[in-house]
Amino acid sequence: MTTNTVTDTPVDDVTLSLWHQVQNSADYCVKCNICTSFCPVSNVTDLFPGPKYVGPQAQRFRNPKELSVDDSLDYCSGCGICSMVCPHDVKVMEMNAKGRYKLYQDKKDIPIRNRMLGRSELLGQLSSPVAPIANFFLNNPLVRILVEKIVGVHRKAPLPGFSFETFRGWFNGVHKKSPNYKPSTDKRVVYYHGCSTNYYEPHVGKAAVAVLEHNGYEVVIPEQVCCGLPMLSNAEFDAARKNACTNVESLVKYARAGYKIVGTSTSCTLSLKSDYLHILDYNTEESRLVSQQTYDICEFLLDLYDAGELKTDFNPVNITVPYHSPCQLKAHNMGLPAIDLMELIPGVNINHVQAECCGIAGTYGYKKEKYQIGMDVGKPVFDQVKQINGSLAVCDSETCRWQIKGATGAKMIHPVELMAKAYGLI
Amino acid sequence: MSRYDVVVIGAGLAGLTTACQLAQAQKKVLLVSTGGGALLLASGCIDVLGFQPATSKQPVTDPLGKLDAFLAEAPDHPYNIVGKANVQTGIETFWEIIHNSTALEYWGAADKNWLLPSAAGAVHPTCLAPTSLANGELTKGGKMLIVGFRELRDFYPALITQNLNEQDLGVEAASSVINAPEPLAKNMNITPLELAKAFERSDFRRKVVQSLQGQSKQFNRIGFPAVLGLKQHAEVLADLERMLGKTVFEISTLPPSVPGRRLFEGLKASFLQAGGRLIIGSKVVEGLIENGRVSQIQMETANRLRPLTAENYVLATGGIYGGGIQTDLDGQVWEPIFGLPVESDSNRHTWFSERFLSNAGQPVSQYGIQVNEKLNPVDSNKTPIAENLFIAGATIAGADWTRGRTGDGLALATAATITKQIA
Ligand SMILES: Cc1cc2nc3c(=O)[nH]c(=O)nc-3n(C[C@H](O)[C@H](O)[C@H](O)COP(=O)(O)OP(=O)(O)OC[C@H]3O[C@@H](n4cnc5c(N)ncnc54)[C@H](O)[C@@H]3O)c2cc1C
Ligand code: SF4
Ligand code: SF4
Repeated sequence: MTTNTVTDTPVDDVTLSLWHQVQNSADYCVKCNICTSFCPVSNVTDLFPGPKYVGPQAQRFRNPKELSVDDSLDYCSGCGICSMVCPHDVKVMEMNAKGRYKLYQDKKDIPIRNRMLGRSELLGQLSSPVAPIANFFLNNPLVRILVEKIVGVHRKAPLPGFSFETFRGWFNGVHKKSPNYKPSTDKRVVYYHGCSTNYYEPHVGKAAVAVLEHNGYEVVIPEQVCCGLPMLSNAEFDAARKNACTNVESLVKYARAGYKIVGTSTSCTLSLKSDYLHILDYNTEESRLVSQQTYDICEFLLDLYDAGELKTDFNPVNITVPYHSPCQLKAHNMGLPAIDLMELIPGVNINHVQAECCGIAGTYGYKKEKYQIGMDVGKPVFDQVKQINGSLAVCDSETCRWQIKGATGAKMIHPVELMAKAYGLI
Repeated sequence: MSRYDVVVIGAGLAGLTTACQLAQAQKKVLLVSTGGGALLLASGCIDVLGFQPATSKQPVTDPLGKLDAFLAEAPDHPYNIVGKANVQTGIETFWEIIHNSTALEYWGAADKNWLLPSAAGAVHPTCLAPTSLANGELTKGGKMLIVGFRELRDFYPALITQNLNEQDLGVEAASSVINAPEPLAKNMNITPLELAKAFERSDFRRKVVQSLQGQSKQFNRIGFPAVLGLKQHAEVLADLERMLGKTVFEISTLPPSVPGRRLFEGLKASFLQAGGRLIIGSKVVEGLIENGRVSQIQMETANRLRPLTAENYVLATGGIYGGGIQTDLDGQVWEPIFGLPVESDSNRHTWFSERFLSNAGQPVSQYGIQVNEKLNPVDSNKTPIAENLFIAGATIAGADWTRGRTGDGLALATAATITKQIA
């Protein structure tokens, strides 16, 4: 069960213990239903009975040799709130992700739509060079209706626009060739940008590079592929594992040399930190080392601040902004460093949105049959954003930004973009 | 450099109220918890003392007045350490937090218990209750109709009414079970939370009231399971009372508890409002005590342990049930974060009483940390182990909420005791 199909690493004790931690944690469930009462999906639809039922309860009936017991599991969005609120450490979301993998294995067909949503990177590679044309088609309502009918991506789902210039193209070309480019020689940090920054939102990567360089770091950008999370959440574990291996092989060299690896995408960093190990059962010395060295960018910057090493030459920015903390960030289990970080900027007043989930949950809210569930889940977030400041809001995760923007019309930025602005870098 | 004055471990009633009070006193507070606490499962009322002596079947009507007698019978109960004054302060401070910084309403006083119907039709003596539950006060008498939903499988109006009527409490109860209207119709099984969300829709409420047409006339009060809305509870209650033209009350359900969730959300919001920082989902796994002080604790994140430092630390990890005290099959009992001493019997046969639902409590639940009157942990010579570490709620030795129904009162009294010292 725990063989690693890509590297064929033998199952070691740590892998086994991690696997058991997830599977056997079902035995710690006291059936209190706290998880169900917090699950954003079961709270808005009766198509999904909730985490206790599909997680620890159904787990008792799951046998690798028998067919999956319950199709409703497919309605779990993977947001991870259940694992977070469970007082008894039951790994409900992780159990669900594995159960879904089995479910699709039994069905033997993953819809083309899910395969497509799992491949944001491939889409980016194909479309970025022809971005204006691709965007024209994606913005065309007739095309979107066709896409919904044929592929099953909801016509109103918030698809991001492709960027003509990729982030890597900018970094290796424009940025490094600029006469002002004088990287630090003593401090280096690795940046894992992920697909969204590369193909859809290079401005987030530019802000991150600007903030890191302003604080005296040379930013190193190694070869990398999509973190694999979109595939993982669409039950394509083998494809996701392949990407995981490619990334670990590329990043481990830097991890060994003691570099920290920072990311602006909360879901990419969560994959590197924990999903590779706990969900994909990809657990080797290398993957553990990469996990150890990975930081969310705000986590990294706030650590610098605590060590007295963060520059605080901010210009005041007089603004009250709503901040939505994405589920994929909360699952880092480290708190919300972005809030403390942004509040270092004079004049900034962060108004933390008090609602669990925006409903997009990666690629969940794109699907025709789940779009409305996603919008219902996210309604409290949208309402609060509109109420606090409907023109600008902050969120660390790209898909959440697109969802909230789609629903509220607010301009959405990543916390480092606010930092870069306050430093006067953009 | 530390960003916090206080780190509170555990988001149960004890941890949340301590954190709330400290944050409101301008302290920089971090609250970190593995998950939600027992208040998400309990009634949502505040029990201070329900039975005296613990095994008595007669409910206490004056909790503060009966406290001395209770403590004479139970000298090892931690109420003895915090003292009566702190029990009273705890209740008053809780009431202030609720009324000044949340949208909730609680009623009651330290010298009077409400006597409310429980989900089994027993009498639940409790000190503070939210309006909707307090409306069920049994001594008010009269005729009450208790309504259930066929799809809410864990709530049996017939059982409640039969038990209430048999006890000669001066109320006359009758029951009615209706089908849940759209959007919940035809569900096999629904949870209290799903019903609570549905009740926030006016069309749902209207259909519920329609189903009761003709039935409700002869009754003074109409009781529902505690599912009357979550965020918009006050509006839901008012609207039902208006449509039915009667007093409406709630009866607490089996877990998960909607009134408990309202309280959790209220305290959480009030803590965040006061500038507190909250991490739910992370476990504190280690704490270092050096020279009689906690110097650091370690919290488990997705990929690494993170050290946390503060001036003071509050351990509110909920005893055996909450995970603050651990046991194993070999009969070992231990406190997992700091390795604080726990007095226990390694013979597991002595851990449980004969009766599962005994009002005398279970010996194993009483295993916990010995403390002094400041609530610092102490060793067997009563010497404090760490002067900047304070133990709150169910983790204290002798705490067992089933013993006299004292869990919430103890959580609040310890919160008050600790706040007084470090605010
Ligand atoms: C089903 C049920 C019904 C109850 N009914 C009643 C009643 O009718 N009357 C009454 O008086 N009392 C009742 N109680 C008990 C009462 O609610 C508690 O005694 C009281 O609220 C005390 O709570 P606490 O804050 O001490 O602990 P808890 O509410 O248990 O909270 C402990 C918290 O600590 C967290 N935690 C534990 N270990 C760690 C760690 N290592 N790191 C981080 N966080 C950690 C847990 O996740 C949890 O959030 C009931 C309890 C339960 C479970
Ligand atoms: S998984 Fe955790 S929160 Fe959910 S029912 Fe089980 S113990 Fe309770
Ligand atoms: S991961 Fe999210 S959607 Fe899935 S069961 Fe848990 S809380 Fe519900």
